[in-house]
Amino acid sequence: MIVLALALFVTPFVPKVRADSTVSREYQVKAAFLYNFMNFVDWPEEKSSDSNEPIIVGIIGSDPFGGAFEPVKNKKVKGKNVVIRRFEGLKEQKESDEKDQEELNQEVEAIRECHVLFICRSEEKKLKKTINLVKENNVLTVSDIEGFLEAGGIINFVMEDQKVRFEINVTAAKRAKVKIRSQLLRLAKRVVEEESSDEAKN
Amino acid sequence: MSILQNMAIKHKLILIIMLACITGLFLAGTAFIGWERNTCRDGMMRNLSTQAEMIAENCKAALAFQDAQDAKETLQALHVEPSIVFGCVYNKENRLFTSYYRDYAEIKVHPSKFQEGGFSFADGFLTVFKPIVLDGQTIGTVCLRSDMSPMYAMLKRNISIILIVLFLSSLAAFLVSSRLQKVISGPILSLAEVAKAVSGKKDYSTRAIKQSNDEVGLLIDAFNEMLEQIQHRDLELVDAKNQLEVRVEQRTAELTTANEQLTREVAERKRAEEQLRKAEERYRTQFEGALDAIFIADAETGIITDCNPAATRLVGREKSELVGQHQRIIHPPEVIAGEFSNSFKEHLREKQGLTLDTQVITKKGEIRDVAIKANLLEIRGKKLLQGIFRDITEHKKAEKRQGQLLDQLEKTNQELKDFAHIVSHDLKAPLRGINTLVKWISSDYADKFDEEGQEQMNLLLSRVDRMHNLIDGILQYSRVGRVKEEKTQVNLNELMPSIIDTLAPPENITITVEDELPMIECEKTRIIQVFQNLLSNAIKYMDKPQGQIRVACMEEDGCWKFSVADNGPGIEERYFEKIFQMFQTLRPRDEFESTGVGLTVVKKIVETHGGRIWVESKVGEGSTFLFTVPKRRASVEEEKLLVSLNA
Repeated sequence: MIVLALALFVTPFVPKVRADSTVSREYQVKAAFLYNFMNFVDWPEEKSSDSNEPIIVGIIGSDPFGGAFEPVKNKKVKGKNVVIRRFEGLKEQKESDEKDQEELNQEVEAIRECHVLFICRSEEKKLKKTINLVKENNVLTVSDIEGFLEAGGIINFVMEDQKVRFEINVTAAKRAKVKIRSQLLRLAKRVVEEESSDEAKN
Repeated sequence: MSILQNMAIKHKLILIIMLACITGLFLAGTAFIGWERNTCRDGMMRNLSTQAEMIAENCKAALAFQDAQDAKETLQALHVEPSIVFGCVYNKENRLFTSYYRDYAEIKVHPSKFQEGGFSFADGFLTVFKPIVLDGQTIGTVCLRSDMSPMYAMLKRNISIILIVLFLSSLAAFLVSSRLQKVISGPILSLAEVAKAVSGKKDYSTRAIKQSNDEVGLLIDAFNEMLEQIQHRDLELVDAKNQLEVRVEQRTAELTTANEQLTREVAERKRAEEQLRKAEERYRTQFEGALDAIFIADAETGIITDCNPAATRLVGREKSELVGQHQRIIHPPEVIAGEFSNSFKEHLREKQGLTLDTQVITKKGEIRDVAIKANLLEIRGKKLLQGIFRDITEHKKAEKRQGQLLDQLEKTNQELKDFAHIVSHDLKAPLRGINTLVKWISSDYADKFDEEGQEQMNLLLSRVDRMHNLIDGILQYSRVGRVKEEKTQVNLNELMPSIIDTLAPPENITITVEDELPMIECEKTRIIQVFQNLLSNAIKYMDKPQGQIRVACMEEDGCWKFSVADNGPGIEERYFEKIFQMFQTLRPRDEFESTGVGLTVVKKIVETHGGRIWVESKVGEGSTFLFTVPKRRASVEEEKLLVSLNA
């Protein structure tokens, strides 16, 4: 809750004026796309039954978006409010501080609660881990890391001719029980049906 | 319009039905087409809208994810619909995202402005805009434009269908109406036929046949009814006309006669008026110019209203002094009793039209005798008494004098008669004496006388006799007229024989009565005297050996003309008058003993009877004495006069 509040609280601090200039166009588009994805993606009932519950967009890792969400932060998607949560990347679970563990658990819970989870490039190394974390939780994983789809991610941003494109892993989507509309699929530059190579592993 | 009016009913009906059908069909067709067009437009619009929506839906993702290519591909699907001219997607900033143009589109125009979520029909194109909504937010707009070719095609098709249907329906309507118009026009035409026939032939006995029970049937009924009435009226009219002609003739005749009568009456009236006017004029002239005085006074009041100049002269007053005065002022008080004069009163009472003798008094006070003849006049409702006054003062005087003279005359006459009688008697007496004496002397002293003496004595006797006869004659003459006899009806035929007998004519004289003698009214004795005298004269003076005396009678000028004709010596003309005078003889008394009185007496007798006597004679051959006796009885007054004159 407090994290939520904090997350909510933090973001406005980013000066708006400079939002456009500091945040690259790319991430503006990606932010818009992110929002748009939500329109073409259906979550299962248990995830999104209650209309009062907002759609949570989590950003894990170092947020490249900056103030990109600023213009659309009050926009509703499918009638629901959209909440942006920022998470820190998964830490190594070396020492388990009880307090940290609880915090961690809480954060994981929070992460799992997201509808959309954007995994930032900063989490490239922990990609699989992060994906696996939410793979049972009907989370639409989005990233712009290369090989994201092979790692089990669902939607991956790619750049083509200065234009932001994306590719989709339908298997992953199926696994996550997230239904991706054909329209979206059509627009994807590449649609793969690939189990993650590390599936068995995890 | 007039063409329409002049068409036959059949054609009219067909035309009407056809027009109705065609109009109906046309309207239906038009409505249909209109509705179809609208439907088509709606359809097209919906179609296009739907397509736009579909495109929008399909391009949502592409637009959301800026995939123009994908969107373009989506748009390419539009080529399936050939009517779509172009389709394009605009992004949020209304900048063209992607577009599709039909290959053979003439116009490649970017619409500059568009309505969001709307459509427009403009310039022969349907343009539809649909917002691309992603999650409640418009991220762009789809614009599709299609031409109206489908609609035109549809319209064309529909119109042709409609036209064909119209044509076929018209044909059918024509056929059907041609057939069915007979239902209406048939009865009407037949009625028209009948009407034409009726008016052409003037045969009002024809009737139209009722074929249906609708208004035409009613019409036919009414028509027949009318014909019935007309026929009836026609007959009546003909009848009336004939009657009228008769009456007109009658009336004309009547009028003509009346007119003639009227004309006559008017002429008569005019004449009458003229006559009246003339009469009035005459009256006025007479009134004014009358020698007798005329007074007109009001019968009730007695006021004099008018008088003529003679009247003014009579009473010596001016007209102004008379008119307005009471009538009694012209009478002396002796003849006035009360208000009015006696004569006035009497005239009013009873004696109108009668002449009353009374007196008037002049202004100077002179009294004059007048004879008044008065009459009642009624002029303008007023009763007036008109009196004609004749001044009889002189007349009365004359009358008086006449009376006096007559008295005197009578007295003288009587004296004369007496004288004659006395004288004759007185004269006779000594004669008788003389006669006796002479006789004595001649007888006593016969022996003393010689022949001469005796002869002278005889002469003396004859002279005495003569004197005696003369005196007798005078006496006789005087008797005639003095001794009046009753006039009786005398049958001369019966009388003549006795007269002739008494005369005892000698054998050589024959008296014949040639004609049937009439019955006359006269004094018997006198008429005997006449005939006796005449006959005896004829006998006496007969100088022929065979004497013939003829008595004849004839009617002439209301008188009996008797004639006694003889073949005696005749009389010279110069003596024709003389012989009737007293004591005239034609021969000396020595030849014929005659008193000379006979014819005078006869003349007197004849003239007393109102006739006259004259003679016609030729010396040596004979004489005819003629005398007349009027047939009619002379009036008493005439007789009196005759008597007194002849006394």
